[in-house]
Amino acid sequence: MDAGEMDRETYERLIDLAMAVDGSLTRRCFLHVGGLSVIALSTLGSWLAAEASAPVLVLPQAKGLVLADPTKCVGCRRCELACTEFNDGKAAPSMARIKIARNMNFGPRGAFLGREGQGTWGNGLVVQDVCRQCADAACAAACPVQAIGAKSPANARVVDKSKCIGCRTCVSACPFRMMAVDEEVGRATKCTLCDGKPKCVEACPAAALRYVAWRELSRASTFRTRPVERRDA
Amino acid sequence: MATVGGWAGKVLRVDLSTGRTGTDDTIERYRDVIGGTGLGYAVLWDEVAAGTRPYDVANKVIFGVGPLAGTGAPCNGRTAVTTLWPTCWPTPLVGTGHMGGQFAAELKYAGYDGLVIEGKADRPVWLSISDDRVEILDAREFWGQGIRRTTVEISQRLGAEAAVAAIGQAGENLVPLSVVMTGYSHSAGGVGSVLGGKNLKAIGIRGTGHLRIAGSTEEWERLVKLHLSLLGANNQHVVPDSPQPWAEFYDPGSRWKAAPGRQWGAASVPIDTGSCDPKEFNRIAYRTNNAVHYLGDIAWKYTVRGNGCTGCPIRCHTMIRVPAAAAKYGIPEMGQNTCGGLNFGRSFFKEFPDGPRGQIAVEACMVGMHLADDLGLWCNYSQLQRDFKKLYYDGTIRTKLGADEFKGYAWAKYEKGDPSFLFELLPRLARREGELGMAMGLGTGGLLERWGLSEAVWTKDHELQYWKLGHPKHHANEDAGQCGVILNTQYNRDAQCHSHANFTRNGLPLAVQKRIAAEVWGSPDAVDAVQAFTPMNVAKARMAKWSLLRKELHDSMSLCNWMGPWVASPLRERGYRGDDTIESLLYSLVTGDKKSREDLDLAAERIFLLHRALTIRDMGTKEVRARHDTVPDWVFEDRTGKPAFSKGTIRMDRADIAIALDLFYREMGWDTITGAPTRAAYERVGLVQVARALGEKGLLP
Repeated sequence: MDAGEMDRETYERLIDLAMAVDGSLTRRCFLHVGGLSVIALSTLGSWLAAEASAPVLVLPQAKGLVLADPTKCVGCRRCELACTEFNDGKAAPSMARIKIARNMNFGPRGAFLGREGQGTWGNGLVVQDVCRQCADAACAAACPVQAIGAKSPANARVVDKSKCIGCRTCVSACPFRMMAVDEEVGRATKCTLCDGKPKCVEACPAAALRYVAWRELSRASTFRTRPVERRDA
Repeated sequence: MATVGGWAGKVLRVDLSTGRTGTDDTIERYRDVIGGTGLGYAVLWDEVAAGTRPYDVANKVIFGVGPLAGTGAPCNGRTAVTTLWPTCWPTPLVGTGHMGGQFAAELKYAGYDGLVIEGKADRPVWLSISDDRVEILDAREFWGQGIRRTTVEISQRLGAEAAVAAIGQAGENLVPLSVVMTGYSHSAGGVGSVLGGKNLKAIGIRGTGHLRIAGSTEEWERLVKLHLSLLGANNQHVVPDSPQPWAEFYDPGSRWKAAPGRQWGAASVPIDTGSCDPKEFNRIAYRTNNAVHYLGDIAWKYTVRGNGCTGCPIRCHTMIRVPAAAAKYGIPEMGQNTCGGLNFGRSFFKEFPDGPRGQIAVEACMVGMHLADDLGLWCNYSQLQRDFKKLYYDGTIRTKLGADEFKGYAWAKYEKGDPSFLFELLPRLARREGELGMAMGLGTGGLLERWGLSEAVWTKDHELQYWKLGHPKHHANEDAGQCGVILNTQYNRDAQCHSHANFTRNGLPLAVQKRIAAEVWGSPDAVDAVQAFTPMNVAKARMAKWSLLRKELHDSMSLCNWMGPWVASPLRERGYRGDDTIESLLYSLVTGDKKSREDLDLAAERIFLLHRALTIRDMGTKEVRARHDTVPDWVFEDRTGKPAFSKGTIRMDRADIAIALDLFYREMGWDTITGAPTRAAYERVGLVQVARALGEKGLLP
């Protein structure tokens, strides 16, 4: 297997994983949603490089994750505020572990004047970016000091602030751009699932977020991806 | 006080004449006036001399927010924009416009509680704020462009998360009826041309900082949930508009529209709004649908979702998708706004072929929003449209326009209610083109003066809803009898006070309202059934004072007075009581500066007294009762001749309103003869210097 093939296979896994945890996305949509295609490809290199040298990291499977329905999001950002106010005692959307603002105005493709846009300036759709609590967590694998691990009871992948050295390798490693940094203390932070009672889910006034059991569906979902693969070919 | 929370800590000053920028310490300099309108009035009082005109270089524009903006306190998204008001006539006086969206929060995250715009740039500029990096940049490429293109292009520079407030062609061309607009649909009316006069096209903000909550996270979470539990729908309507399984009461006038079977029909997959039990915090966003409130049930099928400000679960701006309007008029499918902005286009027309709540009315709204919110036109709380209808149908427009200009408009289209007429009219207003374009954009005062019309005709006409100083009524006697009248006498534009109407129109039965009124204002007689008003009493004066102070408190703390106060709630188990201390609870916990309800009411009084002092100073008279606090004649008449205080009329009685003002002035501690605050009234709220300055000019009673 050459490097190019490995890239593609890993990328496919990421897409499948994302689709498995968020049933509202089609594969084609995924390529746009999150603006991930470019970022994922550009960051995969460093992830894979890190993976090559880092010890194999086995994390117990997360017990749940936050599932977002973009068709219900009303763009109020109460989830971002609940995330940081009720966990960190400050209103700090830039370090929220659920991300609304970046897609809220124009959608994942960014600011442009077109008829195909999303968000307030487009068709109204707001894609909430949430942590997938990946089985093979790129953030954890990339951390040079093993500061990211699973934490009971929800087995969310969380940052141990006492170990984190603030190098931001995890920020670059996450293909979904879901890592955040608490700039006051210079330490990385990420979704902890609030120990199984996510504040964001509780805060959503439109029931657009749910806390659901994590399931590995990447195998089961391959059928859905085949037509796209054929089209790509 | 331990470490201060809530406030960002600095007020940003930008001098467009010199290009200098700097900051003031918010706490040191402005804590006594909290922020928002308080900040605006304080800057104007301290720094802008009497006699300054709106377009003078010496006038300033203050974008003020408060300690709650950008936090998770519900309904904190409004920015107060204060300046000398260009449509206040005949003498421009202090006024404030309010805009929602994300601007207030983003300003705070960038590190600022306010933004003071001074001077005048020598060429078109825009202000770029990216945390502590503040730059005045060339805007010649945006000049002449609409608000939408300007906003998107600035977002491309600052990032898609940026909050941008921009003026359109109307503001650039110094059309007094113009707005500054943010977040697609949120506008502060009246101030667009003041920014245009300063050559400031737009303000773009990107903030990545944070705001500290001084209280413990557990306490804050509990308090936020308490506040959420007290919320109704938009305008704090606490009962649904149709019977629901959980609801003891309903009121067809309520903005609480959700019900099983009523769907956001244009969502990518339709969403049922459901019964929305008030205890279900995860369904608050489904309660309100202001498109349906204004346009009727036809709007359900067009509803995509609710939209609104940072941290607000109410979503009073409804997003609608109307492909038929897009196909017919060549405009985008999507439209969103609320109230006057939603109805901007529709309100010009007397009638539509399919009635007032049909498809064409929806299309008129779509065309109107598309044009007005890009050109940056202001409706003056729909006075523009009422004036236009009157002046067309009474023949004045035909008389005042030259024959060629008059023929240049397709009046047949206008008369039959064809929204495409708006493409002829609105761009010409924004360009001040022709006599009609020039006159209609001036605002009512300037229009009357230019065309030699008598204000007395306006003050007599029920249909026009005109109040005074070039502006209309805003929740007056039609909603709260004498209390509404008093509040409408106090401001220099439409009053914009909702404290009283959010209570009297909350949908609860009168007996429940009276029970709560007795607890809050000391007597059940503070409120009447609407259109069955009773004579004035002290409790009503107390309610009027409370309403006024809460408005200023909200505008200064950054709580939305289109939602608050919260003395009633949808909760049966609380006896439908809300909590009159919610403002002080939020303020104390977020800032760490413990203040009681009474403390904050005193601060609000200080803030309003600055407004009053500015008004008296700039009018140059203390005789405000006679010359400022006036009530139009239509208030004292009934079209069917019903006497005041009879059922079915909003007619007030002149002698009774004189008593109302007496009682109100007494509640405020003002002189009842002149209506001016006394030296003691100023000193009681700490405005010793203000009293001295007014005293030196002979402006104290």
